Amino acid sequence: MLNHHMQLAWYYFTQEYRQPHQRLLRWVQAILMVFIVTLSLSSNTIQQYLQGNLQNLLGADAVLTQKNKLTTDQFTSLTNSSDNVVTTMQISATLTFDDKWQRSKLKAVGSDYPLQGKLLTSSSLQSPPTVTIGGPTVGSIWLDSRLFASLTISMGDAISIGEQAFIVSRVLVHEPDRLMEGHNVAMRAIINVDDMEKLAFPTDLIQYRYLITASKPQIQQLIVWQQAHLPAAKIHHKNGSHPLASFWQRTENFLGLTSIILFFMAAIAIEQIAQVHLKKEQYFSAICMSLGASKVTGLQLSLLKWLINIMLLIPVVAILSGFFHWLIIGWLSESFTEISWQLELWLTVKTIATCTLLFAVFHSPVWLSLWQTSVAKLFNQNQKTISLAFIKLCALVVLILVAVKYSDNGLLTLMLVGSISITITLMIAISWAVLSLGEKATQQFSGLIPFSLFMMKQRLLSKSTQILGIGLSTFLLLFTLMLLNDLGNTMVSYQRTHDGNVMVSQASQSQMTAIEQWAQEHDISLRQTKPYFYAKVVKINNQTLSEFTQKPSDSLATLSNAIRLHWSETLPKNNSLVQGFWWQKETKNWQQISLEEEVMTDLGLSLGDKLTFIIHQQSHTFTITASHAYKPGAGSITFWVQMPQTAVQHINAPHYNMASLELNEGQWPLLSQLWEDYPTIRMVSLQELTKQFDNILTMITKVISGFAVMIILLAIIVILSSINALEDKEKKKNSVIMSFGFLKSTCLQLNVIEWLITALIIAIGAIAGTYLTGTLIYQSQFSLSYQPDLFILIITLAIILTTVTLLGVYASRHSLKSSVKQLMADV
Amino acid sequence: MTCSIELKNVSQSFGNNSSGSLGHKKSTSANMANKNKAATITLFKNLDLTINQGQSYAITGPSGAGKSSLLMLLSGLEKPTSGQGNFINDNQLSTLDTLRSDIGFIFQQFHLLPELTALHNVALPLKLRGDKHAISKAKHWLEKVGLSDRAGHKPSQLSGGEQQRVAIARALVFSPKFIFADEPTGNLDQHNAKEISDILFACCQENNAGLIIVTHSNAMARKAQHIYSLAGGELTKTPSIHVTEKQKVTKYLSTEEQQVASC
Repeated sequence: MLNHHMQLAWYYFTQEYRQPHQRLLRWVQAILMVFIVTLSLSSNTIQQYLQGNLQNLLGADAVLTQKNKLTTDQFTSLTNSSDNVVTTMQISATLTFDDKWQRSKLKAVGSDYPLQGKLLTSSSLQSPPTVTIGGPTVGSIWLDSRLFASLTISMGDAISIGEQAFIVSRVLVHEPDRLMEGHNVAMRAIINVDDMEKLAFPTDLIQYRYLITASKPQIQQLIVWQQAHLPAAKIHHKNGSHPLASFWQRTENFLGLTSIILFFMAAIAIEQIAQVHLKKEQYFSAICMSLGASKVTGLQLSLLKWLINIMLLIPVVAILSGFFHWLIIGWLSESFTEISWQLELWLTVKTIATCTLLFAVFHSPVWLSLWQTSVAKLFNQNQKTISLAFIKLCALVVLILVAVKYSDNGLLTLMLVGSISITITLMIAISWAVLSLGEKATQQFSGLIPFSLFMMKQRLLSKSTQILGIGLSTFLLLFTLMLLNDLGNTMVSYQRTHDGNVMVSQASQSQMTAIEQWAQEHDISLRQTKPYFYAKVVKINNQTLSEFTQKPSDSLATLSNAIRLHWSETLPKNNSLVQGFWWQKETKNWQQISLEEEVMTDLGLSLGDKLTFIIHQQSHTFTITASHAYKPGAGSITFWVQMPQTAVQHINAPHYNMASLELNEGQWPLLSQLWEDYPTIRMVSLQELTKQFDNILTMITKVISGFAVMIILLAIIVILSSINALEDKEKKKNSVIMSFGFLKSTCLQLNVIEWLITALIIAIGAIAGTYLTGTLIYQSQFSLSYQPDLFILIITLAIILTTVTLLGVYASRHSLKSSVKQLMADV
Repeated sequence: MTCSIELKNVSQSFGNNSSGSLGHKKSTSANMANKNKAATITLFKNLDLTINQGQSYAITGPSGAGKSSLLMLLSGLEKPTSGQGNFINDNQLSTLDTLRSDIGFIFQQFHLLPELTALHNVALPLKLRGDKHAISKAKHWLEKVGLSDRAGHKPSQLSGGEQQRVAIARALVFSPKFIFADEPTGNLDQHNAKEISDILFACCQENNAGLIIVTHSNAMARKAQHIYSLAGGELTKTPSIHVTEKQKVTKYLSTEEQQVASC
C-alpha cells in the first residue's frame, strides 16, 4: 500500500514540480538550508580557529595568580574545579653574563607547559620559530631576543642567576599565556621549574601562576572559590574583563545571535509561503478525496510529496553548502594560512536534520488542516480554525526551543525571543492604532488615502501577517545592522591605531631624536611618544612607605622601585578622570599629581594626600589632586603617576621617553641597525602578539560583514515571499476595483498609498522594537551602552519607508497586471 | 436623458500569440493546435449593435462563439480589430474609453472580497469615489436585494445566491448607466438562478441602467427586452416576448418573490 502511495506521491510530485508555489517553496527551502548549513559549517570552522588563536593569545581559560604557593588542599580544590592545571612561577631577577647584567622576568615552567596555545622558540636568532612542547631542561635557559642583544650573549654561553649557571639553549619567541599577564614590557627568560626551587629566591618575591583549563561554569565556580578562600589572589579568565576576552565574548554572542535571527527569518519566510501552499494542498487533497480516496490517503500523499521534495533537495544542499564552505574558507585562508577546509559530515547531517525538522514544523498546519477537514470544508478552504492557530503557536514554541538548544547562550536567545514578542505586540498595537484611528479620522474626507485606510482596516487580519512578516524581518535586520555598526565601532577602538608593534620603554632625549630621524628616513610610523622622569616615592604624608602601609600589594612592590613620572597638560585620551579635578593648562601650582585609581585603592590613598619623590637626587613633594583610570581606544602607554607640564621647569632631571612604532614586514631588519647604533634603547618587539591580534580583528570584521549580507538577503526573501503570499488577493482586489470603473493608475496609486502606510507601521514597529532590544540586550550581552541617536533614527525611518514602499510596489507589480477580463475568465 | 453604446461594422480577430477568447478557453491543446493551423481566428465580422440605457439585452450562443469578447468590446475594455465603438451621451459622441466610470460588472464567480463583510463589499465602490454616505447607501441596497440581515456576514458565510445578490447590490450601488453581466447565474441552482435574474432585471430597471447579459440560460434570456444570438460569427436578433415592463419583471414571481424582486 505504501509502495502504491509512494508511486502516486511521486507522480503528483512530478506533476506539481513546475507549479509556481512548489517552485517558490523549493527555492526558499533550498536557499535557507544552504544558508544555514554553510553558516553552521563556516562558523564552526571559524570558532575552532578562533579558539585556537585565543588559546595562543591567552594560553589558558583562566589564570590564578598569587604570591604564595597553593597548599595541597587549595591545589586539590583547584584541580577539582577544573579540567587541567599547569603551575608556573615568575620572578624579577637579574641575569649576568661577563660584566653585563640585565633585569628580566624569569619564568619557571615544567614539561607540562604550555597548557593551551603554542610555545614558539628558535635555535638561533636567525632561525624561524618552531612549536615547542615543554620548557627548558634542568640547567638550561631560554632568552628572548632582547636579552641576547643586551647581554651580547650567544647560544651555548653560560649565564649566571644568583650563583647558578645556566646554558643558553634556545631563543624564546612567544609564550601563549603572555597576554594574561597584562601590559608588561620586561625582558623575558624561561628556566625549568626544578631550577627555580634550587635558586631558593625569597618566597614572597615569587609569583605563582596557575594556568587552568575550565568550562564557563567551572570558571564561575573558581571565582566563587577564590573569593572565599584566596581573596588576595587574582583570577584572569577568558570571559573576564580583559579587552580581548570581552571582545571574544561579544563575537561569540554576535555569531549566536545571528544564527538565531536567521532561524527566525527562515521561519517567517516559510510561514508566508505556507499560506499559499495550504490552499493548493487543500485543493489537491479535495480532488483526491472527491475521487474516493480516504482522508488518510490525502494526508499520506501530502507527507510523501513533502518528503520527496526535501529528499531531492538534501543532496543539492549538501553539495552547495560544502562548496560555499570551501569558498569561504579559501577566502579566509588568504589572511590566515592555518585555517583549512575539512569535510564535516556529521555537522552537515545534523544541521540538515534540524532544518528539515523546522520545515516540517512549519508545514504542519497544512497537514493538520488536511486531517481535520472534510471534502466540503476543503472546497470552502476555510482554514481559520482555533486548532490551526494553536498548531501555529506550537510551531513557534518548537522553533524557540530549537533556537534555545541551537544557541549556547540561552539567556541571549530568551532575550531575543522576548524582544521579538514585544515587537510583535507593538506592531499589532501600532497597526490597530494607525488603521483604526486613521480610518476614523478620515471618515469625513474623500479620496484615496481614506479609502486605503478603510480597506486596510477591513483587511486588518490578512494584512497583519504581511505587516508582521516584513516588520519582524525589518526589525531583525535593523537590529543586526545596528549591532554590526556598534560592534564595528568597538572593534575600531581596539585596533592598534595608536599602538605599534614595537614598544620603546626607555629612550633618552638624544636617543628619541635618533629614533624620530630614523623613523622619518625609513617611513616608519611613530605612533606615540610620551615623556617621563624616573622618580622614587620615599614618603607618603611624611611617613616612609613601610610606615605608611604594611599591606602587601603589587602597587606597593612597584612603588618600592623607581617609577615613571609623566607630565601632561591635559588629561590623556587613554585616561578617564575617576575623581578630583585635572589641573588647568599652564598652572602655577605645579606640585600636584594624578594617581592611577588602582594604586590609590591598593595603598588606601585619597585626594589631598602628599607624596614625596626623589627625582634625580632631589626631593619634591606633590599633593594628589586627581585620580585617573586607563581607557582603551587611544593607545596603551599609560602612567600611574602624572603631573602638570609646568612642573618640568622646576625639576632638573634627565628626560626619558616611551614610544610605539609600527613596522611593516620589510622594515624589521632595519631595527637591528638602530639597535646597533643605540644599544641602550630599551625596545620590545610585539610582532607576534600584534600580528595575531590584527588577524583576529580582520577576520571577525569579514565574518560579521558576511553575516550581515546573509541577513539582508534573507530579509529580501521574506519580503518577497510575504508579497507573493498575498499576490492573488491583491490581484483580485485590483480587478474588482477596475470593474467599478476605475483605471489601472488608480490601482497603482492605491498600491503606493497602501505600501506607504504598511511601511510606516513597519518602520515605527521596527525602530521601537530595536530600541527596546538594544536597551535589553546591549549592556548585558555585549558590554556596550545603547545610545540611540535621534538623527540616525529619523534617517532610518526614511530609509525603511522608501525601501519597503519601493520594494513592495515593485514586487507587487504583478498584482497590477490585473483586468476585468481576468475576473470574467475566472470560472 | 438616455445614453447608448454603439458598435458599427465591428470585427474581432486574434493572432496566433494572443488568447482568442477569455482565459478559460486558451489553455486547451486543441485550441492551440487550431490556432497553429490558422494564422488568425475571426470571432465575428462587420457586426452592428446598439445598446440603450434602461433597456435589457441578452446575448446567447454556443461556447467559444465570442459572447464574452463582445461584452468586452461593448464595455470598452477591449478594442475591436476593425470597426468603431461609440458612447453616445446627450447626443454627444465619444469613444468607449469614456464609458469606464459609468459601468458596472457582475461575474459568474461573484468576486466579492473575502475579507470584507457583505455591507463593506457593497460600500466599496462608493468609498472609492469618496462618498461620505457610503455605508448608509450600502445598507439601503442590501435591503433592496433582501439581505439586510446578512450585512455583517463575510462572503464565506453566505450561500452562492446570497453572494450574487451582494454582487448585484455592489454593481448597482454607484448608479452606473450600464451593467454587464457574464453568466451571472452560471454557478447557481435553478431556484437561485431564477431569483437572482429577477432581482437583477428589477434593479436595473428601477435604476434605469442598461443591462447586458451573456448567458446560456434561455429562461434568463427570455426576460430581456432584446435577445441576440451569436454563432458562427453572426449576431442575429431573436424575437423577444413583448410584455409591458412591469409584467415582464413580475410574471414569473410568486407574491413573496415579487416583494424581493421589486427592488
